Amino acid sequence: MILSLLVSLWPSLSQSAPLKFVDEVGRKVAVPFPPRKIVSLAPNITEILFKLGLDREIAGVSIHCNFPEKARRKIQVGSYINLDFEKITFLKPDLIIATGAGNTRDMVGRLEKLGFPTYVIFPKDFDGILQSIDHLGKVVDREKEAAAIIQEMKRRRERVIERTQGLPRPKVFLQIGEAPIVTVGKGSFADSLIDLAGGENIARDEKKMYPRLGMEEIVKRSPEVILISSMNPKGDYRRLLQEWSRWKVIPAVRNDRIHLIDSDLIDRPAPRIIDGLEEIAKILHPEQFKK
Amino acid sequence: MKIVTLKRVTLISIFLSLLLVAVILLSITVGSVKVGPARSITILLQSILGLKGEGTETERAIILSLRFPRAILAGLVGAGLSVSGVIFQALLKNPLADPYILGVSSGAAVGAIVAILMGLSTLSFGLPLASFIGSLLTIAVVFYFGRQDGKIHPNTLLLAGVITGSFLSALIMFFLSVSQKEELHTIIFWLMGDFSFSNYQAIRVIFPYILLSFLFLYSRARQLNLILSGEENALQLGVDVENLRLISYLFASMITAASVSVCGLIGFVGLIVPHSVRLIFGPDHRLLIPCSALVGASFLIASDTFARTLLAPIELPVGVITAAFGGPFFIYLLRTRKVVKTL
Amino acid sequence: MIEVESISFRYHKEWVLQGVSFQVGRGEFVGLIGPNGSGKTTLLKTLYRLLSPQQGEILFEDVPLKRMSRTDIAKKIAVVAQEAYPLFPFRVIEIVLMGRSPYLGHLVFERERDLEIARKAMEWTEILPIFERPIDELSGGERKRVFIARALAQEPEVVLLDEPTANLDIHHQSEFLDLILSLNRERGLTIVMASHDLNIASEFCDRLILLHEGGIYKAGTPEEVVTEENIKTVYGCGVWVDKNPISGMPRINLLKKGVRKSGTLERD
Repeated sequence: MILSLLVSLWPSLSQSAPLKFVDEVGRKVAVPFPPRKIVSLAPNITEILFKLGLDREIAGVSIHCNFPEKARRKIQVGSYINLDFEKITFLKPDLIIATGAGNTRDMVGRLEKLGFPTYVIFPKDFDGILQSIDHLGKVVDREKEAAAIIQEMKRRRERVIERTQGLPRPKVFLQIGEAPIVTVGKGSFADSLIDLAGGENIARDEKKMYPRLGMEEIVKRSPEVILISSMNPKGDYRRLLQEWSRWKVIPAVRNDRIHLIDSDLIDRPAPRIIDGLEEIAKILHPEQFKK
Repeated sequence: MKIVTLKRVTLISIFLSLLLVAVILLSITVGSVKVGPARSITILLQSILGLKGEGTETERAIILSLRFPRAILAGLVGAGLSVSGVIFQALLKNPLADPYILGVSSGAAVGAIVAILMGLSTLSFGLPLASFIGSLLTIAVVFYFGRQDGKIHPNTLLLAGVITGSFLSALIMFFLSVSQKEELHTIIFWLMGDFSFSNYQAIRVIFPYILLSFLFLYSRARQLNLILSGEENALQLGVDVENLRLISYLFASMITAASVSVCGLIGFVGLIVPHSVRLIFGPDHRLLIPCSALVGASFLIASDTFARTLLAPIELPVGVITAAFGGPFFIYLLRTRKVVKTL
Repeated sequence: MIEVESISFRYHKEWVLQGVSFQVGRGEFVGLIGPNGSGKTTLLKTLYRLLSPQQGEILFEDVPLKRMSRTDIAKKIAVVAQEAYPLFPFRVIEIVLMGRSPYLGHLVFERERDLEIARKAMEWTEILPIFERPIDELSGGERKRVFIARALAQEPEVVLLDEPTANLDIHHQSEFLDLILSLNRERGLTIVMASHDLNIASEFCDRLILLHEGGIYKAGTPEEVVTEENIKTVYGCGVWVDKNPISGMPRINLLKKGVRKSGTLERD
């Protein structure tokens, strides 16, 4: 215990003066540079940090952080809405990274008051994710790695767009909630993925980001593909499939085009969003992606 | 006004039944998808008569698999909750009583929440079953504590029920606080009460409970009148008060448990329908029970129809509508007639 | 007709009635009198088995009361007691018809015969014109008559009355008692009335039973029971007893404190 304390103190001796950054919601943050102890408050942030090559520097994560496997073994500091401030104080991080889509303003405010530099990212779409990766790369001193990741993601996106260009766009219904039935509307990541993958989200024009659709509406809009996002880790999907099978009037049901998709891939603004995009594209246009 | 005879009850029941049928037909003709009224009704009639014909597959799916079972289930639950409210008001001699006052609904909620937290889907058979079991346990506990000197005593029962309900509510809050986001959403949605998952299986399951309970309770309707004039009076007139209280408690609770297990907690119906019907048709249970059932059914079907069409395609929770429409109507009744004599 | 054999009753630890024995003959009009807490109401309640004595037995026409079913008791014995405020007010006819309950068993609706009996009961108590009025709109006197009508609808042989004239003004008291008396004299109903009004009991009852601390102090005709000594012992209060000049029945007169002391109370 004392040894690890000494070890953790050592690096801070080689840190230079704090660098000033402006985060994605306009806040000025002074970060001891490079940050050696970083706490992530959301799973997408954790994924980005690991992808950038950090591991030892990640001192704490949220309880939702489940990827990569190594993240599960890190110290947990709380959920989106409930932070264990004591633990954070104990960890004494150089930098805390929060997301505008999940962590609350109050939480960030409190962290500020406690003297912890907190950097907030707030990606709103695919390009926003790329930008966040870029910003974080700068903040944690991994600019080169960030650039490489961004380039790779761009390349793969281009490939998907190329392969699906000009093809007929099947009508897609993405179910992320079971009771009530919730889907994705304009402004959500999943919606933009469907669009990029060459499909047409039947809830695209709904004003809410996560609208509820009644069964009647869904029947009326007759989707050709149904994607079920695995929202409930303990859920029983056979049941769900059984439920859908009652509605043979829907083309997607009739033609057996109901697919499960990992929700972490399509609604988490992290590098794996590109995996999500490719998966959806494969489902929508299987002929284009046969190896 | 005449006295309550079989003939009078039958006539009024027929009239209210016609009203109910009209409400059902109306409800199947409206929805977010436009199917003409004539078409809707034809589809329904043809299906009942076993004929085929009208309507595209989509239209038939919407009318027969969505709107009709929804109306029937809402009707059943509306009838059940209303009758249950009548019985509890008589049993507890309390005009503020509703089907949830003895904690049965909280027990059902705990059962449902536990099922949801264990990963059971709302659509599975397990969830309503868990909810029903929760109710049954609550019924047993409240019954056990509601006795004084070995007999059911209205005030003791009320106390036992309210305390048990409070305890269960605390349990519900505990569960809510430790739930994840997705589970939370599902739980809250269930708690608000909803008919969007109505299907024939649910109807088949709860129909026998509600019918059986209704018949048992109706056979005691006359004695229920007596019990309202005081326990000593009822006893001296030859009524087995203890037995009557037991039957009332059990069957009214069963109805509540069955209703809540299929659609969550829908409030207000069990309180205002009995009072409103009583104000119009009088306190005699032989008329009050069937009228409450029929009026309650129509009321809930109408409320649910409003809930799903008022702000289409957004569906409001049906409990919002029952309160919004039931409340003012009840106030109107209060001002034009008297509800209850001084207590 | 009714035989009370040495009954004792207690609610909790204290005995409220101890070793009470008496008889009520068919057609008698018996009054139960005694101070508050002497057990009048409790005794009345045992007579229709609302309460069961822990010791002793009550026989109704030689059949032990505890062997009779509630319905059987209700067909023989009717009770007119204090009624609580109705929660949901029923109408007169509905309340009178409730008296038919012992005869209806599992039936949900009354039969023609029941309606007929109810009608007759209301005629007798002269409330037929108001049969449709809700009970809470009636005066105290009218309400009492409704409950008597209900009792009559039970076609009983015995009517038990618990403090029936309490809260009634003298007009209604008189009306009520006339009615009871005619039920007794003209219809042959046996009446047992618990009353705290000694003069009414004395005037109207054939026999009186004076209760004192859970036991019978004196039973007999009003002349035998209503005496200054008895009243003094049981009620702890000095009164002047004379005869009602018209009926000849004993009459109790309360005197002011000063008068009691100075006036001549000693009689022969």
